[in-house]
Amino acid sequence: MPKANRRVAICGGGIFRPDLWHGENAEEGVATAYQDLLRQCPNLEADDIDAVMMSYFSDHLNQQLCMGWIIQDYLGLHNKPGYRVESGGSTPLDALINAYYMIQSGFFDVILIPGWEWMCEVDVASTNEMIASAADTDWDFPVGGYYNAYYAALEVRHMQLYGETPEDLGKIAVKNHNNSTHIPFSQWVSQRGTAPITLDDYWNSRTVCWPYRVLNNAVMSEGACCILMAAEEKVNRFTDTPMWITGVGLGTDSMRPGDRTVDFVYAGFKDEAKIYPDFVKIPKTPYPDMANFASLHVAAKRAYAQAGITNPLKEIDLMEFFAPYDGVELCLYEDLGLCGRGEGKYMIREGIVDYGGECPVQLSGGLTATGHPVGATTLYYTTFLYWQLAGKVKEMCGPDGLQVPNAKRALITGHGGTGCQGGVIIFERD
Amino acid sequence: MEEEKGLTEIKLKVRSVKRERERKYRDYPAVVDNSTAAHDFWEPIVHLGLWDIKGHQIVKGPWGGGRVEQAKKRPPREFMVIDRASFAFYSHSYGLVSPFFQGLLEGKLMGTKCPKCGTVYCPPRAHCWNPECKVADCFDNWVDLPPAGVIHTFTVQCLAAAPFEHMLPFSMGWVQIDGADTTLPMLLHIRPKEIFIGKKVNIEFMPKESRKGDLMDLYAVAAVSDEKPPEWACLQKDTKEMESVENSTKATLEFIKNRYGIDNSPEARGW
Repeated sequence: MPKANRRVAICGGGIFRPDLWHGENAEEGVATAYQDLLRQCPNLEADDIDAVMMSYFSDHLNQQLCMGWIIQDYLGLHNKPGYRVESGGSTPLDALINAYYMIQSGFFDVILIPGWEWMCEVDVASTNEMIASAADTDWDFPVGGYYNAYYAALEVRHMQLYGETPEDLGKIAVKNHNNSTHIPFSQWVSQRGTAPITLDDYWNSRTVCWPYRVLNNAVMSEGACCILMAAEEKVNRFTDTPMWITGVGLGTDSMRPGDRTVDFVYAGFKDEAKIYPDFVKIPKTPYPDMANFASLHVAAKRAYAQAGITNPLKEIDLMEFFAPYDGVELCLYEDLGLCGRGEGKYMIREGIVDYGGECPVQLSGGLTATGHPVGATTLYYTTFLYWQLAGKVKEMCGPDGLQVPNAKRALITGHGGTGCQGGVIIFERD
Repeated sequence: MEEEKGLTEIKLKVRSVKRERERKYRDYPAVVDNSTAAHDFWEPIVHLGLWDIKGHQIVKGPWGGGRVEQAKKRPPREFMVIDRASFAFYSHSYGLVSPFFQGLLEGKLMGTKCPKCGTVYCPPRAHCWNPECKVADCFDNWVDLPPAGVIHTFTVQCLAAAPFEHMLPFSMGWVQIDGADTTLPMLLHIRPKEIFIGKKVNIEFMPKESRKGDLMDLYAVAAVSDEKPPEWACLQKDTKEMESVENSTKATLEFIKNRYGIDNSPEARGW
């Protein structure tokens, strides 16, 4: 277990909401988010910031390398140490964890973490192509080149092994979209308004890659978010309601999901595998197979160990998953240890992950509804968790905000590639 | 024909003196050169000045931070949106697993076998990833694999990234080739109503003249024709799902016909 030298907290987040298109370009969007952060933390001065940790995924979506330099200079922070983190969808979570490491190490006390992505400069099919080039371009990309398809195939395997149904995926989609209608910064609200959706809407939405229908898939977004992280000695200058980081964990898995039938590094995880139905041949290494997410599983184990958590379902009040497809959410119930392998379906069927349930998941609406500008994504959802733990949801989102009463501890995940990289952070309030 | 004409015009605009092709491998013999024609065609396009502004729009849209309703209440602003293109022509080595792709050109399937732990990789690995084998060399240990395997998982695609869109709709999946321990992604020329995990398939190759040296050179077909999926098969056991797939497939066929003028219906393309 890592030795923590001092406490580190999130002191606030500033938002430039996600939407399908913004007239502002990336640096202007980040500046707008930074202005919002300065409103949340009025004592924050440029001199307080020791370093800038920038979170953005793509260079080719905007024909711009080193956009981090533009951002730093645009905010007038170009005399600071600056650092870019990139790990696909896990980028923003990695940026948070890296900033945490740096503050823990004692080199820096206060780090600004700006995240952004402008994903709609090219047409949707080309955005998908550029995103899919995060898959192995010699082996996986040439066959369809589309993450929706890779994830659909992973979900089909999980569904065949463990018996969840498309209706379970539909219930997750309905839950998340309806949660999103309570977020006044949501892309879904901007595009579609605040009317709730039903399972019928789900059945009527088109199949994109079976079993995923349109409503199961992450949206394309443009948007930005700025998070302020500080060591305990400096926290009080910025906030009365710090959100402490009490556990972090990172994990990785094979680049190609098809190789996970001989995932030797996870060969010791035999006890993690549910007994396979007798009609399916058991691969050499039964976990994670092309079904679950071992990277997230080890990341969670590491984070729980640091935070002293033994029963996450009981000990964590709410969670935000990086789930670009609803099957990922269902698998993560299992991989994060909220239930046994193959039992994810019961979490949604029994309302455990609903608002008011034992452990609400995606009260923000998540990537499929509220927004997914990759580099900003986890930063938004960290900001929403900050509001939850600070008891500020109604203040920030209005009287309809879904505040979890007395929320003390929360979890967030990051997730890149087809589960090639994952991470978990545990947040707590005093 | 329209498109071809467009490309010809582009070629004409390029400087008339043909540059000599870069010779990165000048010290090494090109045993086979099937790329000079491609370089001649594509490099002028790359050098055409794709960064030049191709057009612009003035778009009146919302702006500023805050909530959705606040943004929508502000008087909109005008934004100038420019169009430019990007493109590069990559000459990429397949490395030590090149024999696999050379094999594809010959209509052959091969894998590598770790001399230490015996794992058979297809996709091949030049070095074993079993930590116990300490990145052992596998690249001189090729095994011939039969053109047959089992579907490990699959999906039916009604949407795809730009380069594959014109082929929609199609099924793709990962197939464990008989004798291999890992699974290989490929297109499945199998109707959705017949696809299930565990289904036996045969691997077929594109006609020799259209093979290029990637996984699109091969595809899977049902090993047993008109095989009925077992009652546990997750796609077919729910009639609502089959219906949804069929409706979406139909809509996709129409979209492709309108957009590309290509008929991808099973009757037209034979699968």
